[in-house]
Amino acid sequence: MAFALCGEILGERAGIVNIGIEGQMLAGAAAGFGVAVSTGNPWLGLLAGAAAGMTLSLVHGVLCLVCRANQIVSGIAVLAIGAGCSSYFGSPYVGRQVSGFAPLSVPGMPAAVAGVLRSVSPTMVIGIIVPLAFGAALYTTRWGLRWRAVGESPSAARVLGINPTHYRWAAILLGGLLSGIGGAALSVDYAKGWSEGMTAGRGLVALGLVVMTRWNPLFTTPVAMIFGAAESLSLSAQSWGINVSPYLLSLFPYMAPLIVLALHARFSRRRGQMPASLADILTIGT
Amino acid sequence: MKLQPTLHRAWPVAAGLASFAVATALLFGHSTPSIPGFFWMLAKGAFGDGYAISETLVKATPTLWCALAVAVPAQLGLISVGAEGQMYAGAIAGGALVLFGPRESAWVLIPAMLACGAAGGAAWGAIAGWLRARFGITEIVVTMLQNFIAINVLEYLIHGPWMAPNSGNWPQTADFPAAVTLPPIVSGMRTHVGLFGGVAAALVLWFAVRRTKWGLAVRVLTGNPRVASQAGLSHFAYIVGAMAIGGALAGLGGICEASAIQGRLESTFLQGYGLSGYLVSWLAGHDFRWIVPISILMGAILTSADTLQLGAGLPASSAMILQGVLFACIVGWTSFAKRIR
Repeated sequence: MAFALCGEILGERAGIVNIGIEGQMLAGAAAGFGVAVSTGNPWLGLLAGAAAGMTLSLVHGVLCLVCRANQIVSGIAVLAIGAGCSSYFGSPYVGRQVSGFAPLSVPGMPAAVAGVLRSVSPTMVIGIIVPLAFGAALYTTRWGLRWRAVGESPSAARVLGINPTHYRWAAILLGGLLSGIGGAALSVDYAKGWSEGMTAGRGLVALGLVVMTRWNPLFTTPVAMIFGAAESLSLSAQSWGINVSPYLLSLFPYMAPLIVLALHARFSRRRGQMPASLADILTIGT
Repeated sequence: MKLQPTLHRAWPVAAGLASFAVATALLFGHSTPSIPGFFWMLAKGAFGDGYAISETLVKATPTLWCALAVAVPAQLGLISVGAEGQMYAGAIAGGALVLFGPRESAWVLIPAMLACGAAGGAAWGAIAGWLRARFGITEIVVTMLQNFIAINVLEYLIHGPWMAPNSGNWPQTADFPAAVTLPPIVSGMRTHVGLFGGVAAALVLWFAVRRTKWGLAVRVLTGNPRVASQAGLSHFAYIVGAMAIGGALAGLGGICEASAIQGRLESTFLQGYGLSGYLVSWLAGHDFRWIVPISILMGAILTSADTLQLGAGLPASSAMILQGVLFACIVGWTSFAKRIR
């Protein structure tokens, strides 16, 4: 989730909307799980997930940047291809299991630290570090400044000698890579299994929550935790003995982002901080 | 000279279809003995005999309603990807009346059921319209999330309070009474009058967009917002209204399918139609006249994907891949043609 959110923020900062993250996450989850099962190595699984997400983002890149197709429409095509392919190629792996990552350990550490680390998986750590790293890069490096310039105004960037298409290719591929890792982290590490459509809208939620981060990667982790909290709340409500159908509880992770978004829009300036070139794509008609 | 504009529009589509054929052959060709035979099987599965044609039309019907549900908001430039959720909402609302309402004659029940279905879908669509118009939250994400919500509500109902007592714990509702089953067009076939309803709705909408003051208002709203606000047109009302009408159309499609084909509500019985509908509407350029024939073509693709499932042993997800690839090919080539022109 944090990976996908971070990928989408970076994409949108360069003026690329990617509706297909859900598809890329699914493809990443299926490919990552497949590889993790057959090699027994979860890290290879993450790599395979990243590769699958990136391959799908190639489709998005060709459609958006080479053909200049509408990004939304292209994203929906990517979503369909990703979701279809993941269940097509993932079907042999339904019901299989992987052991996931070995717990992190540093030789000679005190037992208390080891206890904390045991509940933390490597993907969580990476998921917290990656957005911080990209956030720092986006705001402090030349590369990051140009990246943002492309998202605000591609024509101005072009005048300054920056080729927006290069940056957008990078943004699309990076987004696919991160979504793919996010999907693989979900199947290899979190669920330790693969089932059809297992991302269950996480990519879409990420898409919605980008607004909440105000397009700032540094806010990725706190915002991703909103969804995480909603999800774990709906899971643990049962263990508290609250007698509600699991299907009703599973509504919560989808309702929470909607409510949060509505509240956010109510109490903040409209479209705060949105990269300017996105406005052409997202705000038709208002 | 007259041919040239037609040619300009036609070649990207032809190129798109060609790339689609190549991509399909690459993806699925390995599971059949010969490539031409593979396409022949697809064609035969969709149009081979009366039964195949009927099945194509059966699949085209909900696709048509969904495509209309996408095309109405699209007239305002809104991108609704929520037809599937709206269908479920309509099916749930209509189903509630049929399952728990009074037992009346078919003449009362069927219109009431359709009205409930339309109302359910409209309410579901209006939520997204309201969030968009009031808060500026993009309708794309909201409608997609609403799909998940609607699906989970249905799952809750059929696993819980609405589960038929005699179903042996199988997640489905009791059968709808025979009085509310929409009649088939040809007896013995599954094609039902919902198809005529969809075609009629497409014609009415086409007329409404071209010839009524609402259609004109929509064109002003999208063409020149400043004039629209001076003329006193309310963006809010039109956005919510378009989403609600779209929702109502999808809801009708959902309840038609539930009544004529399933005869009950069950798990994921409308899966995939939202995507197909979006694809159809987009391919038709959101033009109501083109939506009808393209829906039938989409029905053919869906039916032949079923044939693949039986004949070549390919999983059901092939249909989704086929649609996604078709979409990508046509989007790519038409946009490319626009770019190089």
